[in-house]
Amino acid sequence: MTPIMNPATPAAFCLSLVILSLAGLALALMARRARLWCAGRPVPVEWARGLRALPKRYLVDVHHVVGRDPYAARMHALAAGGLLGGSGLALLALIPALGGARLYWALIALAFAGALAGGVMVGRRRYPARPARLSGGRFQILPLLLTFYAAGGFLVAFDAALGGALPALAWPALALAIAGGLGLVLQIDRGPMRHAFAGAAHLVVHPRPGRFEGERATALAPLDLDAPRLGVATPADFAFNRLVGFDACIQCGRCETACPAFAAGQPLNPKRLIQDLAAALQPNATNATYKGSPYPNARAVAGIGGPDLPLVGAGAMIHPDTLWSCTTCRACVEECPMMIEHVDAIIDLRRHQTLELGALPAKASPPLMELRYADEPGGRALAARTDFAAGLTLPLILATGRADVLLWLGEGAYELRYGRTLRALVTLLQMAGVDFAVLGPEERDCGDLARRLGDEATFQRLAAENIATLARYSFSRILTADPHALHALRNEYRAFGGAYEVIHHTAFLDGLLAGGRLTVGALHEARVTYHDPCYLGRYNGEIDAPRRLLDRLGLARLEMERAGKRSMCCGGGGGAPVSDIEGERRIPDIRMAQAAATGAGIVAVACPQCSAMLDGVTGERPEVHDIAELVLMAVEAGSAKAARKDAAGKDVAGKDAARKDAARPPEPVA
Amino acid sequence: MIANAEALLKPLTIKGLTIRNRVMSTSHAPGYGKDGKPQERYQLYHMEKAKGGIGLTMFGGSSSVAIDSPAAPWNQISVADDSVIPYFQQFSERVHAHGAKLMIQLTHMGRRTKWDTENWFPTLAPSVRREPASRTIPRAMDRHDIRRVVKAFADAVRRCKEGELDGCEISGAHGHLIDQFWSPSVNQRSDEYGGSLENRMRFGIEILEAMREAVGPDYVIGMRMSGDEMIADGLSHEDCVAIAAEYAGRGLVDFLNILGGQARDEMSHAVSLPNMSFPVAPFLFLPSAIKREVDVPIFHAQRVTDLATGARAVAEGHVDMIAMTRAHIADPHLVKKLMEGRDDDIRQCVGAGYCIDRIYVGGDALCLQNAATGREATMPHVIPKADVARTVVVVGAGPGGLEAARVCAERGHKVVLFEKENIAGGQVNIAAKATWREALSGIPRWLFAQVAKKGVDIRLGREATPADVLAENPDVVIMATGGRPNPGPVKGHEHAVSTWDVLAGKVEPTGSVLVYDEIGGHNAASTAEVLAKRGCLVELATHDLQIAQEVGTTNKPVHLRELYKLGTVLTPNMELIEIYPEGNRLVAALRNTMTEAEEERVIDRVVVDHGTLPVDGLFEALRGQSVNDGETDLDAMVDGRPQRWTGQPGFALYRVGDAWTGRNIHAALYDALRLCKDL
Repeated sequence: MTPIMNPATPAAFCLSLVILSLAGLALALMARRARLWCAGRPVPVEWARGLRALPKRYLVDVHHVVGRDPYAARMHALAAGGLLGGSGLALLALIPALGGARLYWALIALAFAGALAGGVMVGRRRYPARPARLSGGRFQILPLLLTFYAAGGFLVAFDAALGGALPALAWPALALAIAGGLGLVLQIDRGPMRHAFAGAAHLVVHPRPGRFEGERATALAPLDLDAPRLGVATPADFAFNRLVGFDACIQCGRCETACPAFAAGQPLNPKRLIQDLAAALQPNATNATYKGSPYPNARAVAGIGGPDLPLVGAGAMIHPDTLWSCTTCRACVEECPMMIEHVDAIIDLRRHQTLELGALPAKASPPLMELRYADEPGGRALAARTDFAAGLTLPLILATGRADVLLWLGEGAYELRYGRTLRALVTLLQMAGVDFAVLGPEERDCGDLARRLGDEATFQRLAAENIATLARYSFSRILTADPHALHALRNEYRAFGGAYEVIHHTAFLDGLLAGGRLTVGALHEARVTYHDPCYLGRYNGEIDAPRRLLDRLGLARLEMERAGKRSMCCGGGGGAPVSDIEGERRIPDIRMAQAAATGAGIVAVACPQCSAMLDGVTGERPEVHDIAELVLMAVEAGSAKAARKDAAGKDVAGKDAARKDAARPPEPVA
Repeated sequence: MIANAEALLKPLTIKGLTIRNRVMSTSHAPGYGKDGKPQERYQLYHMEKAKGGIGLTMFGGSSSVAIDSPAAPWNQISVADDSVIPYFQQFSERVHAHGAKLMIQLTHMGRRTKWDTENWFPTLAPSVRREPASRTIPRAMDRHDIRRVVKAFADAVRRCKEGELDGCEISGAHGHLIDQFWSPSVNQRSDEYGGSLENRMRFGIEILEAMREAVGPDYVIGMRMSGDEMIADGLSHEDCVAIAAEYAGRGLVDFLNILGGQARDEMSHAVSLPNMSFPVAPFLFLPSAIKREVDVPIFHAQRVTDLATGARAVAEGHVDMIAMTRAHIADPHLVKKLMEGRDDDIRQCVGAGYCIDRIYVGGDALCLQNAATGREATMPHVIPKADVARTVVVVGAGPGGLEAARVCAERGHKVVLFEKENIAGGQVNIAAKATWREALSGIPRWLFAQVAKKGVDIRLGREATPADVLAENPDVVIMATGGRPNPGPVKGHEHAVSTWDVLAGKVEPTGSVLVYDEIGGHNAASTAEVLAKRGCLVELATHDLQIAQEVGTTNKPVHLRELYKLGTVLTPNMELIEIYPEGNRLVAALRNTMTEAEEERVIDRVVVDHGTLPVDGLFEALRGQSVNDGETDLDAMVDGRPQRWTGQPGFALYRVGDAWTGRNIHAALYDALRLCKDL
């Protein structure tokens, strides 16, 4: 035979042809699925930028997330690398110069061997016992298909590499590869393999490209309040690239492990939610194929849908309680290797429920009503926001028109518990001689609660009014102890023309200590663990300053298992405390147990929501202190120590003075 | 967290003066004045409340504006000359340093004082009417007196302003000169200061106008007054509303501080300072009614013992400021604890009236359950940590033992507390069984909660043996084993039972009962009341001049009222000399202490109270092994030094409370606090 007509073995040649036809079939199935994405709203996407960035987004950003589970990372590298490598190389073997080279087939065999190892790892993860977070059903046969295809491919290639030394093995092996390969391809549009092409597409058209460019990119996108439909009612209301994102889900269940509502037994499982959203895209959709963990204490739904059918409701795919269970903590987003934006989807669905249907949980409506009329979710007078500071000097910016630092007080100012934190902060600012002022009665609610509850109209109004107020004054930056306000002011007001430098009090106090403007004594005895607020850590990436600050206080700092950007929510975000969806446990109880498990006597917090939620935990538990309170304690400990030293020298004189007190009119005391 | 707390923590602005919250302490006379001046003790007492977060603290109840209203009988303050100003300045500075505001009460007592003290001038009143409480017969004021007293008020308020006080109130309450003019029960004048209510109000109006002229329109001047004198010939509620509306309507007062009743005699005095027999906030309806008629802030005090009640009073709009005066004597850090979310740590006033009762017999105000109050210079309200942690065993969980355990635990010591009963509280548990004395149980309840919270190893139902104590390898052993009833020296005392036996239910007497009292405290009176309520025919006899002689002026009238209502026979000046059985009854022989005439009673039971004797078995058993032979270094206690055996190898053994010698709850707590704070 001529070299052109001389592949290594007939079986190998057939393998290449099989892969070619499977690739064709796969493309057809992908196209069928991709056509469904077109039901979504068109949005401008920078295709070229996305395509150029794809390799980096995949190899760096995705693998950064995947790599948090080293087993999974090795498994995926072998399975995906081996599969794509082996198949791609085998396809290229149709080029005679390559297909005739035994060494080339050895390379293919090596790639399939990798895929086989990956397939075995997939299997070992799922058998004999499947971890709860992994889905069953089609996913459970995935290791079989993978190993069949990879083993078949390997044997065919191995035989070819040996020059056809094992003819008896080659044809059955080919059959095995065909069976496995066909099985895998048939998983492309509705099965596990969809993640591969939808995931790649998602990386190209990702709605938050900034995430791959070093930004936290966590601000919600503004809603056009004049749009004919507000928020998302049907799959077709989502932008097309969001639909791509739902299809990218590989059901690894990392989100469900991270989800605080899931842990509390509330009816939210982010994985199931994404699966329901993906399933609903199919005409005449049902949710029956899902074989992962259910929504805990799932509320009954019909489980049917379609591109233009409602997503939410008892007669649809998703029960409203599922939406309202979310704390918007973004733990799911942080954990998702496919870079899916669960929280954005929930907010879009909530926006429709709130703005068009007025269908909020009973206890979530009153605060929104109060916000509309009183600019404050408790319906309290804006002037009462500064009540907490009675007895302290709290300069109003109205008096001077300017200040170096504008202190944004936030909602916590109305709370007895949090007033203590703000008093500590104000006291520290005064001790450090910071030129600061507050808006006082001119400070409206920042709108965080309204926005997370889907009331975008109220958020946008509050944002506009706050921006107009802030525009009247001159200040260099905004300081706040409330990460929710920080997030709104720093990241979300920008879209409405408000660009500010906003600093959290932990970073600010850290600066004051570093600059020697505050002197602290050590709080030796205490062991402390720091609870990262979601809106500070995950939303804004600030996880170092609070820890640095605690370390300056001489505290023994212990870390919880979930900390930093992977911290667990206190249960206070996203309006969850007012939505109040029933579960089995309370999220703060779970979090407090994690804190107590460190052996710390103090949980340091840095957010009014966290302090309210965690301080509401009953029974034996560590104390809850905002970092500002701990800093003040340390400053006072420092000055008490200095005073003791002072007094030791003056003791005798002091007694003398006391004796004279009775005899003559006193000198004014210092 | 209490409901409506935010209502209490809202600032109140009066004429540019911003008070940081709605909790205050009214002017009262703790008997801490010295030479007519508020000196260190007085100032530290109020500074502690300022530290504790109070919004406004008012001092100097009944501070005199004139030399014929002597300050001496109350150890009070004279604002009658400029020498007080530097003290005011020092005082203001101390209180302001902690963020609170400071005001004083100015008054002329009129007939409600003594003529035979200080300057020996006649007492004054609108008319010659004796005041039963002070047993004083005044002279009727003439025009010169009126002009002089009006000017004295004006001079006094100038001194307040120069002393940098944040304001003042004048007293038109408790039967002082201004309300003596208002009240038809005292004012029988026929000139322009008597007759119609308009005329009777004139004196006070002239005073306020003169004061306003002296200090200008911006200085805060308020007035304390009754909302209803609650006597037949006195001011009705309608009269009081009319007075309030007139004074406020004329812009003469910046706030009104309303109370219920007056204080011209023993019983009305007890009502105006309600003790634990009254419900909480019994007269809140009076300020509430006046608030509807006037536009100035309304203050009110009268047995508002808990923050929840105070918060409700403010939140529901009955008052603008709630005064918790005795509540602050029990716990000066009340507001701070509320703000810090530690409201469970608040030591709540039980309404024992111990503080006020002491000052009416010339003593100093001390809290039955907080030995640090009024002793701020020497006793800490917040116990500092010790440098060295020791092991302390406390035996007995009555008030003394609980306080010892609490203080030692706050010091950071490891504490083991033994109590033979299954419940802590000791003798208080017995005393609290007597009808309206029930609220006493709040004292050990708070102490026990603190002790439990501070991690004391509490062993209830365990009568400690020497081996138990030694097994803990202690550094310090504190005996707080309390007392047992003293049977007394009377011949045939074995036929009598004790007040304990009755209150604790060990015996349930029926028929006729003689209760014999040699203490003069609450015990015998309470027991007599309990027995009479159960249907016994009761005679309460005592060696003393009167029944419950040692009980103070806000409590004794309540005892007497109850005993009279129950038809109890009250027999003072009688000594029990012998008890002997006759058939199945008893004969008690009594001797009149004045005539020595002897009488006999044939009765079914004799109940005696001779106080207690120390329970000292364990103490004596351990004494020989202790490093100090059970001795207490009294000088060290007074000087605030550690006991001289501190740190020696082995254990030191001390006694507190009735285990040392039978006294009262305060004595037990004070023993424990001053011993343990330096251990």
